[in-house]
Amino acid sequence: MLWDECRTNVVCATGGSPRDDTRLVGNERVNIKDTIAAINQMQADGVVERYAIGGAVGATFYLEPVATLDLDVFINFPPKAGSALVSPQPIFDYLKTRGGRIEGEYIVIAGWPVQFLRTASPLIEEALAQSVEKDVAGIPARVFTAEHLAAIALQTGRAKDKVRILQFVETAVLDHARFQAILSRHGLQEAWCRFETQFRGDIP
Amino acid sequence: MTFDLDKILESKRQFRRRLAARPIAEKLAMLDALREGALAIRSAPLASEAGILHEKPPPRQGEVE
Repeated sequence: MLWDECRTNVVCATGGSPRDDTRLVGNERVNIKDTIAAINQMQADGVVERYAIGGAVGATFYLEPVATLDLDVFINFPPKAGSALVSPQPIFDYLKTRGGRIEGEYIVIAGWPVQFLRTASPLIEEALAQSVEKDVAGIPARVFTAEHLAAIALQTGRAKDKVRILQFVETAVLDHARFQAILSRHGLQEAWCRFETQFRGDIP
Repeated sequence: MTFDLDKILESKRQFRRRLAARPIAEKLAMLDALREGALAIRSAPLASEAGILHEKPPPRQGEVE
């Protein structure tokens, strides 16, 4: 289903009566596949050069699903002639004309708040460059590799990131050599040693 | 049924692995359902607004109500 078609289909998001407005999510059905399809279309239309999904939704491609507030999309902006400044405005303008709505720092597409993030570090730049395409029931989706997601979680280092790293290790989806090479390239070996020491008992 | 913690933890690990191995479209649909649930909770009225009765503990000995 196309994103625009999806938006015109006012359906009940939580299983209640479609007439009950409190059960709707802003007249939108929550459907992350349509969100991804809209981002693919935006890329095809040249608004962004390349994108990849990271964060909790990116991790869900490899791990068990976990509740999350938003969809993190990392992007490369096409260079603008004569300007070194980078602005997300073209993305917002593009998506607003296709029914997206701004909510704070997010733009909501098909019921999902999407946060567009620039590649702000060499690790994330590499993660975007080496992202992989996954098939979501016929819809292509570009996603960070499991090794990059784990390395970014290690670099970010919040409590929830540490939980995610443990899930990556426990689920045995990481290619050890690849992961170690990323840690080495981005100066994260010491952080990994500290992590292993801290969670020795939890790493199978 | 077991009270062996190691067995319980291993069983949970296996369950998470099985969940992780589900097709991606299925897992994304689960994310949609989780988000819908979160939104439903967020939009639910507060207990005080919904006219729910609250149980109040009795006053402690020596305490004046």
